[in-house]
Amino acid sequence: MRILGIESSCDETAMSIVSKNDGVIVIEKSLVASQIDLHKIYGGVVPEVAAREHVSAIFPMLLELGVSRDGHEIDAIAVTAGPGLVAALRIGVELAKTLAWLWNKPLVATNHLEGHVYSVWSQTPTPAFPALCLLVSGGHTELFLMRDHGQYEPIGMTRDDAAGEAFDKVAKLLGLGYPGGPAISKMALDGNPNAIAFPRPMLESGDFDFSFSGLKTAVRVYLQSNLSLPAGRQSDLSDISNLSNIPDIAASFQQAVVDILTIKTLSAVQRFAPKSVILSGGVSANRALRESLSNELAKQFPDVTFHAPDLSLSGDNAVMIAIAGLHRAEQKDFVDPLTLQANPNMRLL
Amino acid sequence: MISNSLEQTKQIAHEFASTLVGGDVVFLEGDLGAGKTTFVQGILEAFGYTEPVRSPTFSIMNMYAIVNHPTIERVIHLDFYRFETPEEIRSLGLEEMMEDKKNVFLIEWPEKGLEKESGIRYTKRIKFTALGDKTREIFF
Repeated sequence: MRILGIESSCDETAMSIVSKNDGVIVIEKSLVASQIDLHKIYGGVVPEVAAREHVSAIFPMLLELGVSRDGHEIDAIAVTAGPGLVAALRIGVELAKTLAWLWNKPLVATNHLEGHVYSVWSQTPTPAFPALCLLVSGGHTELFLMRDHGQYEPIGMTRDDAAGEAFDKVAKLLGLGYPGGPAISKMALDGNPNAIAFPRPMLESGDFDFSFSGLKTAVRVYLQSNLSLPAGRQSDLSDISNLSNIPDIAASFQQAVVDILTIKTLSAVQRFAPKSVILSGGVSANRALRESLSNELAKQFPDVTFHAPDLSLSGDNAVMIAIAGLHRAEQKDFVDPLTLQANPNMRLL
Repeated sequence: MISNSLEQTKQIAHEFASTLVGGDVVFLEGDLGAGKTTFVQGILEAFGYTEPVRSPTFSIMNMYAIVNHPTIERVIHLDFYRFETPEEIRSLGLEEMMEDKKNVFLIEWPEKGLEKESGIRYTKRIKFTALGDKTREIFF
């Protein structure tokens, strides 16, 4: 089966062609709008706006993908139906509906979060069920149990900021630029992760929820007091340049995030006894987090396998949507192209 | 007003929520960690919303259905933190949603000034200032 994947849930427009033959998944094409030069393809008429302007990206991407006008080589279409930004989601959903109707091909509605989880199915061995999933990105921090393909049970989630958002905002406080995750990781390499005792919020909460807003505020308070700034004035970049221990702050902050995610995930392993743990989402690219989870799992639960996506699939992409769509298509879980609606609050069920 | 804890910030938000009517557009101004999202959590708590209320920084827009309120059916929590141009705000298609007077908008990071060109006007405005570790000034 060969499937066309379409993703436009927030910042990125992405398309892919993925096939599965004799159980083997092959990524044939994968495009992400921010990585291609739309001007070159479109002749310079694309307005100079962010990748969020999905509508200007879809036809150049279809052309670049090389898909035929009648879609004869495609067996099914998978699209992210939610959750996300409704105006962005609609563009991918309406495109998928149109193609499915014109080509008379089955249409699969995929959940964006489910897509992230399926990013690890591009490699072997694939996870065994039940799988405990930790999904960490700019917009999400969630723990859920996957009992089988397409069957999810929520366990915990962030109550305020996502872990990736905390990375970005702390990077901004430290003057490290955007995106914050890689900037903090790089700076943390030269720092001592035990230098500053930042809090580990929610470790004693007795559930599997997270909170990262307080940790971000703790970094701000630390800067404020170490720079002896007057109350009400937030540090700016010239103040920050007076600090000599930025690597220590970055390393200590990163360690706090890694500890929280590792400890909560390991206690969920203890409680739900999964056969595998899947780390996914943009923050899964963080090496300290990968190593911490994989090492602790090997130490405490050596029979539980650890899975994290290839770095090229950790951020938003359409390969993961196509792979999730493949599994739904195999179960003939199709939707009607005439009635499918983007659902900004779509849940994993 | 002065808040000395997250709970007090939510309490102040409860009182503020009682002044809100459908069609209100509220600007929430203040630095990182000043209490804006906590305040929004307090407002939704006051409206009887029991599910988690999370930061919209990455999702840009979170929507919450409100039941049993005389004038408000929906709270729309927006965050312009990641935006660089007014076009990005325009791409959200807010005009139509703002014409519906059963909606209330709570907007973080309006101080970037992008909304002026997009024709968004506030009806209420709140300023948050961190005075210390846990102390916040909330001005409206």
